[in-house]
This record gives sequence, C-alpha cells and structure tokens, in this order.
Amino acid sequence: MTQGKNIGKAILLIAVELIFLTLFAAFMLTDQIGKTIAFIIFFIFLGILFKKWEGLSENTAKLFKEMKILALVVFILMVLALPFVFQKSPYLIHICVMAGLYAILALGLNFQLGSTNVVNFATAASYGIGAYTSALLAVHFHVPFWIGIFISGSAASLFGLLLGIPCMKTKDYYLSLVTIAFGLIIYILLINFSWTGGPNGVPNIPPPSILGHSFREPINLFGFNLPFQSNYFYLIFIFVVGALLVAYRLHHSRVGLTWNAIREDEIAARCQGIDVTWYKILAFCIDAFFGGVTGTVYAHYIGFISPENFAFIVSVVVVTMVILGGMDNVFGVIIGAVLLTILPEKFRAFEDFRLLIYGVIVVAMLMFRPQGIFPQKLRVYK
Amino acid sequence: MTMIIQQLINALLLGCTYTLIAVGFSLFFGALNVVHFSHGDICILGAFVTLIFYALGKLLGIFVIIPQFISIPVMIILAMVVTGLLGVFFERVVIKPFRYAPLLMVLVATVALGIVIREAVRLSFPHGSNPQIFPRILPQKSFQWGGVLIRVDGLMIFGITLFLIFMMFLFIKRTKTGAAIRAISQDGEAAMMMGINMDVTVAATFLIGSALGAVAGILIGAYNNIIRFDMGLMGGVKGFSAAVVGGLGNVYGAIIGGLILGLVETLAAAFIPGGTPYTDVFAFLVVIFFLVFRPSGIMGEKVYEKV
Repeated sequence: MTQGKNIGKAILLIAVELIFLTLFAAFMLTDQIGKTIAFIIFFIFLGILFKKWEGLSENTAKLFKEMKILALVVFILMVLALPFVFQKSPYLIHICVMAGLYAILALGLNFQLGSTNVVNFATAASYGIGAYTSALLAVHFHVPFWIGIFISGSAASLFGLLLGIPCMKTKDYYLSLVTIAFGLIIYILLINFSWTGGPNGVPNIPPPSILGHSFREPINLFGFNLPFQSNYFYLIFIFVVGALLVAYRLHHSRVGLTWNAIREDEIAARCQGIDVTWYKILAFCIDAFFGGVTGTVYAHYIGFISPENFAFIVSVVVVTMVILGGMDNVFGVIIGAVLLTILPEKFRAFEDFRLLIYGVIVVAMLMFRPQGIFPQKLRVYK
Repeated sequence: MTMIIQQLINALLLGCTYTLIAVGFSLFFGALNVVHFSHGDICILGAFVTLIFYALGKLLGIFVIIPQFISIPVMIILAMVVTGLLGVFFERVVIKPFRYAPLLMVLVATVALGIVIREAVRLSFPHGSNPQIFPRILPQKSFQWGGVLIRVDGLMIFGITLFLIFMMFLFIKRTKTGAAIRAISQDGEAAMMMGINMDVTVAATFLIGSALGAVAGILIGAYNNIIRFDMGLMGGVKGFSAAVVGGLGNVYGAIIGGLILGLVETLAAAFIPGGTPYTDVFAFLVVIFFLVFRPSGIMGEKVYEKV
C-alpha cells in the first residue's frame, strides 16, 4: 500500500519537475515578443496561485521534502539534458552559461550582503581581477586554465582582503562608498595600465581543454552534435553545484550562524566573543574568491576581455540579483541570478531600453516586494 | 611659482563644482539620513535640461530678441527650477517609500534610479551615447595677470558658486523654511511634534540641493563645452566623497571637502609624472584614507555608537 503510494508520489514529483522545465525550455525557445510576454504573465499568475492557495504550495513543498534525493537527481538530469534541447540554438546555451556565471557571483556576494549585511559594490572588481589574472597568465605564460583558476581565485581573494581591511573601519553608506571607490579604482587602472592592454583589453585567450578535447570544439555524443557552448554549460554547471554546496554548508555551519549574528547586531555579537573583524574579512575573501573563479571561466569562455566587462554596472546587477532573489536564501539568490540574466536577453528587441527597464524593475521590486522573491527563512533546529 | 598659482586656480574651479554637488549630499543626509546616490545624475540632468532650453531658445530666436546677458541667466534659473522640481519628484517616488525601510533598500533604489535617469537621458537625445556639445554660454575670453592665464568663464564659475552658496546659507539661516530644515536635520520626530511639516521641508531640501546640483552640471558643461550622459556617475561619487571628507551632513564641510578633492586631483595631475589618467585613483585613495582614519570627516561631529 505505502509502496504504491510512494510510487504515485514519485511519478507526481517527476511530472511537476518535467512540467516546470518544459515550461522553462519553451519560454527560452520563444523568439516572439508577444509570446514572451504571455509566458511572463502566465508565470506571474502561477506565482500568485501558489501564494494564494496555501494547500497547493504546502503540499508541493511537502512532496519535495519527502523525496529530496529523487527530486534532486531528476532535476540535475533534466538540467544536464538542456543542451540537447537547445542544440539548434547555441545562443540559448550561451545565456544559460551566463546565468550560471552570475549565479556564482551572486552566491558569493550573498555571504556579505545577505548573511552579514555588509554592502559591497566591488564585485565587478574581483570578477575583473580574476579574469585578467588568468587571461594574462594564459596569453603570456601559457598557464593552463586549470592552474590559472586557482591563481586567479587567490589573487582575487587577496584583493578581497585588501578591500576588507579599510571596510572594517566603516559602516553603511561609508562602507558602500569605499567599495564603490575600490571598484572604480580597479576599473580606471585596468583602462590605463599598458600591460593589461588598456581599453583594448586582452584578446585571444585560449580555451581550456580536458584530455585533449578543446572546449572550443563541439561535443559529439550519442549521435548528437552539441555546439561548443555546451562544454562550458557542463563546466559551469559543476561550478554552480560546487558553489551551492559551499554556500549551503557555510550557511548551516558555525560560520554562517556567526555571520547572521553580526547581521542582527554587531555589538551583541562582539559581546558574545565573536571576532567580528575576522568573520567579516572572511566574507570578503570568500566573495572575492567566487568572483575570481567566475572571472576566469568568463575570460576563457568568451576569449576576449576588456575593462568594459567589469564596469560599475556589473556590481549593481549582482547586488540586485541578491536582493531580488531573496537575501540569505541560497535558492532564492540563484533564481534571482537566472531571472535577471534571462529576462533582459529575452527583451533584446528593445536592446536600447534594456537598462532603463532594468532600473525601473529594480525600483518597483524594492517597493512592492522588498524581501525578494524568496524571503529569508528562519533557521529551524530539530 | 606661476605654475603653482595656475594649478591652484584650476583646483579651485574643480573644487567649486564638487562643492555644489557635495552640498546637495550634505543637505539630503542632514534632512533624511539618506545618501542619494543618483544625485550626480540629477546634476548632469540639469545640464541636459539647459541643453533643451538652449535649443528651444535658439529655435524661437529668443537669444536674438533678448540680449544674452539677460536671457542666459534666465535660462539657467529656469533649468535650476525644473531640475529642482525633478529632484523633488524623484524623492517622492523613489526615496520616500523607503523612509522606514532598512538602509540598504534606499541605497539600491537610488543607485537604480541613477541608471534610469542616465538611460532616459541617453535615449531621449539624438546620438545620446556620444558626448553632446554644450553651448558656450559663458564668455570665452581670457587674460594674463602676472604670467598667470585666467579664463573669464573660470572667474564666473567661482563667482556663481560663491554667490549661490552664500544665498543658500542666507536661506537656511534667515528664513522660516531654513529653520525647519535645520530642525529636521537635528531631530525629525521632535520637529514634527513642533508642527513642522516634514514632507514640505524635505521637498524644500531636495529643491535646493537639486537646483544647486543643476548649476554644477551646467558649469561643468559650460567650462568643458561638452557633456555626456554618464558623467553623473563619477560626478555623484566625487560629490559624495567630497561631502564625506568634509563631514557628511555638514554644509560647511561640503565646501572644504570639495576644495580638498579638487586640490588633490589637480596636484596629482600636475606634479606626479604620468599621473593625469590616474587623478581619480588618487582622489579615491584620499577618500578611503579619510574614511579609515577620520570617518566623521573634517567638520563632522564624532558619532558614538549607541547600544
């Protein structure tokens, strides 16, 4: 009896996930603006339905909680199958890769902005330092991607440390000014140094390769011919999973708890014997490391970087992703990153108005749902 | 010696524009305890509003009918009023809803507002992404004085800034609205209990701050004869930096901060070999230095944390 019930539940769960991902794929594949808007309205409607009809959302949550492992495995398999669905349009895979990159950046920033409530507008700087470090190493010294990624991650962390030290003395608006100033300093230096290529950037960055398979070649698998972007899709997928694991484990560890304590009340945290400085610096370094790694993947993926890729606006975009998705909610942050990467791309037809619409959406979102799509959850101890 | 004087004059002019922006930051922070990150963009918006008025005036032949020494000041005052009203409007729409929200919200909202203003300006001007030529509304003459080259428009920038700052002080010290502004900057709730209309006073603050910012934008445009939609980002960060160096919330401090920032940049460009592209870097390093070692600024009161 229970066996049969369980199988029924499993089928239901797979069906729910299948419907969700089919909708997502269908949304990605539409190229007409009318249909896109229809889809968005439909998604908003779904969201409202889930919110108003508590039985539905509760039961779905229960279903997923009961069959955690199955749900995860099915979800991962479906995401892995996405390049097969999109194989005719490499552009869509490219968008997915970019969404993954932003997801890692947002996860990194979440340690500061979400967990510790430390504003940081210098994400683009650590992202850029990572990208430039590995790109210059690869172009001038032929350092392979797999080694470069660690070097650039460390270099970015070092920058995070450097940024973190003056930030310890400041708070709130002053803190944001320090980070904005640091971000602009890095940007100006990148434009003006001659050894970074100045405004022209670094061209011809070699792609990574694994067992002789260059990432700029298409994958031939089971008679399918996947465009070369799929290489990066799978690479970034692994990275996102890794970042998620780190974020999840950190959130549920002493460190995450300490960060939350600092967020709630810094003085109280200090009175409890928490070394506030050390934990804040740690948040800076981890964020910068994530940024550095992301930058490396970006540089080797696109093959060309210039200072424009790491301008102030990138930092603002990442901050927005964290706030929109839901601060200190790992899942929400990823959703925020994916949404804010895909939606602007869907409105490419209004290319010129993209940033304008973006700014309006951010302000509207802050007014009407300041806690983000997925609000931060209370910690549950059993 | 003449070179040093020349550089000091340049520093003074740069400092004047920074001061006009920084005063806005200090006024807003005093009134509402917010930092209006899109204030720089509003300043540049002022310059673009002037650009529209100038084009209109040219189209209607106003500059031919009415002599320029009357029509141009009138145009600048009109632009100040329009920008001031826009500033009030933006405060109502974007800052007011977050009055009791966490500080991060208003921070991100104003940064996003900056993007909206910048993009709106870019999209509403033909070839908006390119630098726009700003009309030469100030006299383009210069004279030698003891080996120092003095541009008349530079002299006028100094005069206009001095005049406006003086007028603003008079307004704040002598009028009833000014007293209300001072009252809400000391304690908003107590001021409201004394019968001060918070909304009107805040609106007045934003009107003054944005109008002064508009003048900064116009002067930058008139001195360089060029204006670009994205100058506001840097201008805003510099203005905020100047306000912080002087002591955020203190209007006298904003003046000193603006002058210091102008001095640092000019000196870096003049005396550090190859330093010209890096002037902003030096300015920001000074700001970070101040934030670390004297976060309350030069004129600011020391803030003690309450538990």
